Amino acid sequence: MDTLNFSSSDFNAVLITLKLALTTCFFLALIGTPLAYFLAFKSKRAKPFLESIVTLPLVLPPTVIGFYLIVFFSPDTPLGKFFILLTGEQLIFSFYGLVLASIIYSLPFWVQPLQSSLEKIGNDTLKTSESLGASKFDTFINVIVPLSKKGFLTSFIISFAHTMGEFGIVLMVGGGIHGKTKVIAISIYDHVEQLSFGKAHFLAGGMLILSFIILLTLFYSNKRSMVKVK
Amino acid sequence: MITSLFVKITGYVGDFFLEFEHEFNTSGITVLYGPNGSGKSTIISVLSGFINHLETKIILNDKSIENTKIFPPHKRPFGTMFQNPILFEHMSVNQNLDYPIKRNKSLDQTLLSKEELIHYLELGSMLNRYPQNLSGGEKLRVALARTILKQSDYLLLDEPMSDLDIKTKARLLNFLKMINKKFKIPILYVSHSIEEISQIADEIILIKNGKKIISGSVSKILNSNSFQRLIGKFESSSVLEGTLIKTNQLMNMTTLDVNGQSLIVPGRPGLENNIVRVRIRSRDIIVSPVKINTHITENELVGIIIKIYTEKNTAFSELVIKLMKSKIKKTSQILRARITTYNLNKMKITENKKVFIYISSVSIDRQAYQY
Repeated sequence: MDTLNFSSSDFNAVLITLKLALTTCFFLALIGTPLAYFLAFKSKRAKPFLESIVTLPLVLPPTVIGFYLIVFFSPDTPLGKFFILLTGEQLIFSFYGLVLASIIYSLPFWVQPLQSSLEKIGNDTLKTSESLGASKFDTFINVIVPLSKKGFLTSFIISFAHTMGEFGIVLMVGGGIHGKTKVIAISIYDHVEQLSFGKAHFLAGGMLILSFIILLTLFYSNKRSMVKVK
Repeated sequence: MITSLFVKITGYVGDFFLEFEHEFNTSGITVLYGPNGSGKSTIISVLSGFINHLETKIILNDKSIENTKIFPPHKRPFGTMFQNPILFEHMSVNQNLDYPIKRNKSLDQTLLSKEELIHYLELGSMLNRYPQNLSGGEKLRVALARTILKQSDYLLLDEPMSDLDIKTKARLLNFLKMINKKFKIPILYVSHSIEEISQIADEIILIKNGKKIISGSVSKILNSNSFQRLIGKFESSSVLEGTLIKTNQLMNMTTLDVNGQSLIVPGRPGLENNIVRVRIRSRDIIVSPVKINTHITENELVGIIIKIYTEKNTAFSELVIKLMKSKIKKTSQILRARITTYNLNKMKITENKKVFIYISSVSIDRQAYQY
């Protein structure tokens, strides 16, 4: 058994993983938040349909999503061509390919907690705010966001943790390229394959502790805000 | 300042067809009365701009404001308070009150100040508290103050007091009357409580199944046949308006002048020369063709029967009695009495006959005027 050590390639994997998780959460905030708002307050007829689509990544095997993403990201598709035009690089096996895949994969983890938190606020609160002279945007910033702080926090933490932990899709779409698309989950897999259990232990243990701390923070803050309401 | 408000709404709401048209009073308190599910709240929502699928015309001071794209809810000149008013849970009472003030660019400090409202609604001690720690009545007072602070042209209050106890309700109704008079804010008040409307209304609009049945002054509507039909036989009643003459402090009784005749009611419903409204149930009235010379009740009024409705399948008849005109006041008030047809025939009472009316002060509901 080799000794516990932390190679520069592992360090890179950690950086890439954190960068991926943060970037994904940033885009999820931009895309997932309006979607959750729409689902909570606006949609009536389209709601079951939209909710099904948003929830799909939760039930599909990662390989199915990975497969379709590879198909859509390939340089022959309009999306692939557009990305090459934009960056000169292929979308597939690139970091932004990973980001795009993670956004899709983690979408339900952003939308669902936020949506249920928004639904608790209710339409009447929005109406009250608007009838007092606040525009929809004003209402969103000054009433909805402060009232659903917990929902935003939950969405962020779960999406972040979930993005950090994904494996199948990142492997298929990113290819696990050293210093580019190789995230912690893939590094662990490689270490185990090469029987470098010490290195695997180091990364796996780190993930375990980090995930536990993240969840503990989440549940602790949920419990505290529940006590406050009482 | 509001000079005119015309509203017309037509279209399907759920399973009934709403057909509403009204030229609103621009002063005073207008009550929109109707049974549950008659379309009252829909009208409020349309006015506030939250429903836009109905064919609508809202003309305020000769300007059309029904288009929700040009006039979305936050640009409407109405101050709306919905059923079960909501306070923003993340803001203190003070911050809640500031919410509409911060968003009003044309705020008129001389019109009505926050401090004044805090004083009138006794909110001073709760300014730094949060909604979670307020009682239902306290929340309602804050919400009401907040709505008024928007300084809208018209207040729309959608059954805001249905959950309150009688005492709190009475105080708030009194406050609304004061606000309406003092600051000249017209109010549209949605209600299905007869006690409420007989106390605060200047004008009543009656609606049922989405259709306006009748509208007009309180005495006209409350004593109208359509209103009596709507509220049912058990609640059948009339509202008398009188000037407060004097209160007997020792006995705790008050004498009112109703059309030059005196009516003694329990308690102290106001100050001298105040106009007091009293609701009297039709089944609490004793009618006699001759004067009864014993003091069987505190009150003896004189009137003329103008109409007798004999019900076919029940034991009852309903008498519409016009109180004798006074020398000073030309208008005479209407009183409804409900007696058995058996007794009607025995007493040989017919239309156009003079009758004596006996009302026990005990039957005059104290809650009907004490607020």
